[in-house]
Amino acid sequence: MRLRLQRPWSRPPARWAARWAACGLLLAGLALMAQVQAQPAPVLEIDRAEVAVGDEAQFPQGVATEPRALPDDWARWRGGAAGAVWYRVRFDAPDATLPALYLERVCSRVELHLNGQLLHRAGHAGRPGSRACQPPQLVDLPPALLRPRGNLLDLRVQGQPLAQVASRRHVGSLSALAVGPHEALAARHARALTLQVGVPQAVSATLLLMGGFMFVLGWLHRAESHLAYFGALSAGWALVEARRWLPDLPLAPAAAEFLQSALLAFVTLAAVQFLLRHARHRSPALGRWMALQCALMPASMVLAGAGRLHAVTGAWVLLFALEVAAAAVFHLRLRRRQHGQLPRPAAALLGLVGAALAIDLLARRFALPGALVDAAQLVVPLALVVVGLRLVQRHGQALQASEASRVHLEGRIREATAEIERNFRQLSELRVEQVTQQERKRIAADLHDDLGAKLLTIVHTSDDPRISALAREALEEMRLSVRGLTGKPVRLGDALGDWRAELMARLAQSGIEGEWEAPDELPQTLTARAYVQTTRILREATSNIIKHSGASRCAIRCAIAEGDLQLVVQDNGRGIPMEVDGRLDRGHGMASMKHRAKQMQGQCLVESGPGYGTVIRLTLPLDRATAAPPLGRGPADSMTH
Amino acid sequence: MTHILLLEDLPEIRSWLRSLVLQVFPGAQVSEAARVHDALELISAVRFDLALIDLGLPDGSGVDVVTRLRDRQPEAQAVIVTIHDDDEHLFPALQAGAFGYILKEQPREMITEQLQRISQGEPPLSPSIARRVMAHFSAKAKPQAAPADLLPHVSLTERESEVLLRVAKGYTLPEIGVQLGLSRHTIADYVKQIYRKLNVSSRAEAALEAQRLGLFGR
Repeated sequence: MRLRLQRPWSRPPARWAARWAACGLLLAGLALMAQVQAQPAPVLEIDRAEVAVGDEAQFPQGVATEPRALPDDWARWRGGAAGAVWYRVRFDAPDATLPALYLERVCSRVELHLNGQLLHRAGHAGRPGSRACQPPQLVDLPPALLRPRGNLLDLRVQGQPLAQVASRRHVGSLSALAVGPHEALAARHARALTLQVGVPQAVSATLLLMGGFMFVLGWLHRAESHLAYFGALSAGWALVEARRWLPDLPLAPAAAEFLQSALLAFVTLAAVQFLLRHARHRSPALGRWMALQCALMPASMVLAGAGRLHAVTGAWVLLFALEVAAAAVFHLRLRRRQHGQLPRPAAALLGLVGAALAIDLLARRFALPGALVDAAQLVVPLALVVVGLRLVQRHGQALQASEASRVHLEGRIREATAEIERNFRQLSELRVEQVTQQERKRIAADLHDDLGAKLLTIVHTSDDPRISALAREALEEMRLSVRGLTGKPVRLGDALGDWRAELMARLAQSGIEGEWEAPDELPQTLTARAYVQTTRILREATSNIIKHSGASRCAIRCAIAEGDLQLVVQDNGRGIPMEVDGRLDRGHGMASMKHRAKQMQGQCLVESGPGYGTVIRLTLPLDRATAAPPLGRGPADSMTH
Repeated sequence: MTHILLLEDLPEIRSWLRSLVLQVFPGAQVSEAARVHDALELISAVRFDLALIDLGLPDGSGVDVVTRLRDRQPEAQAVIVTIHDDDEHLFPALQAGAFGYILKEQPREMITEQLQRISQGEPPLSPSIARRVMAHFSAKAKPQAAPADLLPHVSLTERESEVLLRVAKGYTLPEIGVQLGLSRHTIADYVKQIYRKLNVSSRAEAALEAQRLGLFGR
């Protein structure tokens, strides 16, 4: 039986289920993003602000302000300058019982002052934090602080200059603001929170769990080492994304950027190795280079200093992207060569991931629409989840297949063992038979040499013809017994030939006209014993006819009827006298004939009456009297050596 | 003058056979031997017309004596005199070139008659011997048997096969003569021919076997 891992014509349902689940997940994400785009009606969108640079605790007085469009991105106008930036917007109190301000995105920290009062703070101003950007903020505006018109909202934003961050997305920035009823903004806030924090958190948690599991799986099955690399890739990606969903940790922004970038080298190593090993390719040199890269990249970042982080990581990330792309192409080519055709689902998925990574890569350098970047950032982890599920499924299938083949193999071993045992038993039986046969031959030879020679001497040296005849009969008996002892099964046709030759010759010698009738084709066989016993009965019957009957004719008929061998010996003599028959005669040997027939589960009937001759009917069941010759030792064989 | 070899290990039987032989062939010169060794020595010294050979002897088998006699004195007639009536014992001797067999325990008059028949070229043939002869020749007739150029092609004629088949079925030679419309003499000739062919074919086979084993052609 051949087991197939892949059956193109009947895809396992689990595979479809995984695909549909993945598609559903992607659709749900897209639907969520589409909803974010929809604007509730009575909300005041604020997309302009007065901007002043200054580290003061209040909006700087007496400093030149500059109007800027929101969302604002420091990379556009501040260059490498650090320090806080103040944004001031004016708005009229919205017509709502519970007004609120929605701040979709701010990097990295913000203080919110309403009409001069500190109202909200995202990210601790005095303490370093690991977050590059704050999650979407929804701040309730206390009606007590609100004036009906001309409210002043000052936002103090602290962020990183482009040179010090790996990605442009992490540069100090402020998104557009929205002021409106709490309820209207809460839904918007919740959606944005889900998309930017909740979903990445859930997916990352999944990646971490699955990655850990697969790493252990690959570690245990060294032949499946690609699973370990995939596990590392998944977990590594989850960690790269950690800054988006982890709570703010007390970590300097520079250190957080450094760690996040350094992780990319490790993730690249895992991705490249996974792609190669999954296509059954191993390259120790490449492995060494990837490991070296993991050390080189942080070292180069340290050497370049925090001020050139963006340039250095940019170069590295570009290199990583090229490496992964090359590995992906190589992977697809290898698999095409192995399977004869391009694995379409894998190619499509790799293409999608490549596009997402390209968007991510561009977003590091250029300002791209936030929604697009957010969607692209979801693609990679989702793709990892899908591939992970598929790999686990494949692994399970392989496990199942190997289990099945193990069961099959065990069955084969059991069969083979049984076969060996059977052969051995046959061999030993054959051996026993051979030994028995040899022993019988030895006994037969001894009988001939000793007993035979002595009987023969009596036959030819005795002066008494009666003793001589007795000795001759004894010799014949002995020979017949030896034949029964050592003989092989005899074909019934051959036996009839032997009997005919002997009986007809004896009858002819005594001047009795013999008649013989027997079927021509007789495939049955007689055991040596049955042959010998029947020979004795026929000899006895013929002797009786010659000695006692005074018959002039004798007919011997043989027939097969209902599985029995029927022999009829009929003479036209004077018959057996009543008194002799009544005493179970001694001289005529009827008793011994009947006894011999009974030994073969047969029957010997004697019909006789004075003047009517004698009929002897011998019936032998052939299924008992015959025996299939043992393998390879048929009567034909015994004739050819 | 007839010269007869008598090989028999039992002294009583030997002297009994001697008297019997002298009855059939009055005035014959009888050389007696009790062992294969003695018989072989006699064969190399004396030319025999007839040899009565026992099969089971203390120092070997009478078949060896038959073979030697066939080699050295092809014109001498070898007759097996034995206590074994089964073809397993008799057939090898017939293959070696024996021209009939006599069972020792038979009454004197039957043996003398058989001996006379054999010496007149009318050897006995039992059904089981006939079957073995048929098996011998049908095995040779198989295509994978010896290549024709290595073996003198010996096969039975249709008539000889017919006679053998009838003997195997238990018909006596006179009966077969009647069935085939042939004289008793002709049937006897067939049997004699069958014996001769058996010997020639068996010898060729033995030679081929020896060649196959690498005893020749070195």
